Amino acid sequence: MSKIWRIAVREFVATVFTKAFIIGLMVLPVMLALGFLVGPRLFGDRPFAVEGQVAIVDPTGEVTGELRDALTDGTPAAGLADAIRRGRADVAGGSAIVEALAARPKLTLIERSVGADIEREKAWLGIEEPDSPHLALAVIHANAVEPRPGETTFGSYDLYVPPNQDTRAEIAVHQSLREAIVSARARTQGFDRARLNDLMTVPRVQSVTVSGDGERNTVGGFNFILPFAFMLLLFMSVMGSGQGLLTSTIEEKASRVAEVLLSAVSPLQLMAGKLLGHMGISLLAMSLYIGLGLLALTSFSLFGLLEPMLIFYLFVFFLLAFFTIGTLMMAIGAAVNEMREAQAFMTPMMLIIMSPWIFWTPISRDPNSTLALVVSFLPPLSSFGMMLRLASSDPPPPWQIALSIAIGIAAVVGALWVAAKVFRIGLLMFGKPPNFATLLRWIRAA
Amino acid sequence: MIARSGRFRPVGSYVLNAANGGAAVRLSGVTKTFGDTTAVEALDLTIPRGGLYGFIGPNGAGKTTSIRLIMSILFADSGELSVLGHKSALEAKDRIGYLPEERGVYRKMKIGAYLSYIARLKGVEDRDLAGRIRKLIERVGLFGVENKRCEDLSKGMLQKIQFVAAIIHEPDLLILDEPFSGLDPVSMRQLRDLVVAEHRRGATILFSTHVMPQAEEICDHVVMIHRGRKMLDDPVSAIRRRYDPRAIVFEPLQTGADVGRVRALPEVESLTQVDGGYEVLLRPGSDPAGAIERLTAAVPVARVELKRPRLEDIFVQIVNEGRGTTQADESLRAELQGVTAAGPS
Repeated sequence: MSKIWRIAVREFVATVFTKAFIIGLMVLPVMLALGFLVGPRLFGDRPFAVEGQVAIVDPTGEVTGELRDALTDGTPAAGLADAIRRGRADVAGGSAIVEALAARPKLTLIERSVGADIEREKAWLGIEEPDSPHLALAVIHANAVEPRPGETTFGSYDLYVPPNQDTRAEIAVHQSLREAIVSARARTQGFDRARLNDLMTVPRVQSVTVSGDGERNTVGGFNFILPFAFMLLLFMSVMGSGQGLLTSTIEEKASRVAEVLLSAVSPLQLMAGKLLGHMGISLLAMSLYIGLGLLALTSFSLFGLLEPMLIFYLFVFFLLAFFTIGTLMMAIGAAVNEMREAQAFMTPMMLIIMSPWIFWTPISRDPNSTLALVVSFLPPLSSFGMMLRLASSDPPPPWQIALSIAIGIAAVVGALWVAAKVFRIGLLMFGKPPNFATLLRWIRAA
Repeated sequence: MIARSGRFRPVGSYVLNAANGGAAVRLSGVTKTFGDTTAVEALDLTIPRGGLYGFIGPNGAGKTTSIRLIMSILFADSGELSVLGHKSALEAKDRIGYLPEERGVYRKMKIGAYLSYIARLKGVEDRDLAGRIRKLIERVGLFGVENKRCEDLSKGMLQKIQFVAAIIHEPDLLILDEPFSGLDPVSMRQLRDLVVAEHRRGATILFSTHVMPQAEEICDHVVMIHRGRKMLDDPVSAIRRRYDPRAIVFEPLQTGADVGRVRALPEVESLTQVDGGYEVLLRPGSDPAGAIERLTAAVPVARVELKRPRLEDIFVQIVNEGRGTTQADESLRAELQGVTAAGPS
């Protein structure tokens, strides 16, 4: 055991006390900080002003006026339109696009005669006018404001737009037209549009999360982000340690240190020492990230939202994923002569490791779906799948957690068995890299 | 004396047991194949404790595979093996020193840290390990390199460091695979002296080489291996006796001296001129001492000596047994003299 410990300590020290590791450790927090601080400036929607000309053919004779009033500063219609836009943006939950549309568009209306040639008017859309672009041609249906005699349904409008136009401009035109038509209909029917709007508007309220610890305002998206955060931690830890094991094994084999070590320890001791060393490295990194995460939650007074058992499960499922994937990575490292040769074996391994990214959204949305169930019992994906479910708003029952852990342990034993055999033979095999058939022969032969 | 894992054990004290008869290494019918290639075939070998054995043969003969089998780095397909009284070297790794043919180090690691790591893996718990490392490094002629990185040392210097790593725990059995390859003559002599010193300390030594003169110079017993099969396993003295070429080499005192009287001696079967002198082949059963006495009486000589059998000649003779062509003989001979590029066996 002392030899395993010594190998583990060397692996740990040789990795942790390097500039590369320290820099690598800082990358995630720095990236997150940049994401929070700089991201919104880089990727956020700039205040978008919809400005341009809209040609309108209005056989009703009602809509154009309503639209003009709504677009003119200081008119009651404009105030009402602004209130409606703000209300919609609020109901939509602050979507960036709709928020941008809460601003009043600066549309210049170009009225066309009712009998205008629509095809010729469409050509107008293609005329470039940089200072005041031609945004749309709206053709209001004759029954848009009042149904035809004997009918109850209202008509609408046709909208023609030029190619490559910003979607937000089109949405603004749609919104303005719809409001103008509704206002025209209300006025024709003798309703007070402002009153109607009051009747139809229910302000969005902040929900309150009630828990054993008390009540707090619900944090939007937390239940969706939390599984992602846990999966990201698990992924990064397993991926980092797996890569470390692969490269260090290849390095020891290629530099022929392996044979010197094998004169002092058995292959199994060497493997166990390396695994423990890299496990320590990953646990250190993971603990640091968890600490930073908890610190962030505390600073935003959100600490109470986190179920402490999740951290315990994170470590359990990390160990299962680490030992399964790590041992197989070591086996690959022992089988090949250089990093380039490892790519053939790495492709299926990478597909497995990357698959949680595919499963994140469906499992987070429905943590008890058939897909979630299958993934959480299918090693080595089970660790990622179960972690996503555990961190979701609807965690799995305890028996499923226990079963997933039991299957994970069985997978670890299987992976260790396979990897130990490949490791023992492969570490001193040089020359042509083995294919999958050769690996199977090694497993059977050792 | 070094403490290993908290216990003290006098160096060179061996526990004999009836099963292995006190042998440091015993192989019985050991065979190892790689796919269709038989690297070692039914190898029997016994190395007594305290022996200094040379494992010789050309590149690809199976020396390294045999050594890896002894070290339990590889495992035999069949046959039995015992090392220092154990069924496997795994059970006695702390008592074995090993210098592999393909020598590697952690390039970024400092020399002192590397040796300390290997020593501790070998179970050395010496409190003054740093001091011991410094002394050993100085013994191989390197000074103040403890804090240098492995990558900063030359190949020859690293080889010495690796030798230190092999003996740092004062092993009972020292296995050296091609220890002199790549060394300059001075370093080679230095390392040879260290090997002899380890032997004097009481260590059993097995070293492989494809360069026969090295084996002749150091070993007291030689095991020849070719294509995975043992061809010869005898003390050097016995080999010399058995393969006595029955020849005397002499150099006349005067250039152009009449050697006709030598040819007429009753012990002489033939006389051949060789570089710088003559080689006399004696008749079977002749007394070499009497022949030398009569030869010197017949011709004044500057130098006269019994021709000593060379391992490479014996090896070539055994391997080819008359089947080899002259060209094949010369190629094998050149390799055994170490004049061709060395490769893994």
